[in-house]
Amino acid sequence: QMIFNADEAHNIVKECIESILGKADYNHNKVNQWTAAIVEQSLTHLVKLGKTYKYIVTCAVMQRSGAGLHTANSCFWDTTTDGTCTVRWENRTMNCIVNVFAVAILL
Amino acid sequence: GYKFNAERVQQVLEGVLAGTLGTSVYSPQGSALLAQSLAELLRSRAKEVVPPRYKLVCQVLLGQQAQQSLLVASRALWDPESDSFASATFSNTSLFAVATVHGVYFE
Repeated sequence: QMIFNADEAHNIVKECIESILGKADYNHNKVNQWTAAIVEQSLTHLVKLGKTYKYIVTCAVMQRSGAGLHTANSCFWDTTTDGTCTVRWENRTMNCIVNVFAVAILL
Repeated sequence: GYKFNAERVQQVLEGVLAGTLGTSVYSPQGSALLAQSLAELLRSRAKEVVPPRYKLVCQVLLGQQAQQSLLVASRALWDPESDSFASATFSNTSLFAVATVHGVYFE
């Protein structure tokens, strides 16, 4: 039976974030295209794994201001097949949190 | 209805956020716990208004108000005929919260 490989997903997402935000400084005008690019690229790479999952990927980018930020999730699903992973990333000017949720489907 | 009713779920999210956070104040330790219990509460309340055979992914972002900018984006690979999501936000002078529930139909 299929099990969600969180480590694999974590690496995929981390690379996507790095490639898009890596050397950038927070820029209000670019945040829209960055978050869109991060979720789309992550999704594309996850799909390439070829597993029978539906995926939900969310990305939050926040300007670093010393303010606290918490994220939590709660899922109603099949714990034997479904899974999630969270990637936290930051540089000098911004924080990024990406969550991947993989929900198994029967084919 | 047999489909995920986004409007109905959004109303539930808004009600729970306002009811739970009304006059809450941000605190580093307290807010971490609050985010988690909010996610679980939202998940169980959403489940009440969503048809059977739907798996649910509920996320909460809870942060300190500090005049900073935040953008949250998500993409999903799923069946647009049956799957959907709803989100709601809340803020007071001390904190803000973003809640999202994605519903994925399971055959």
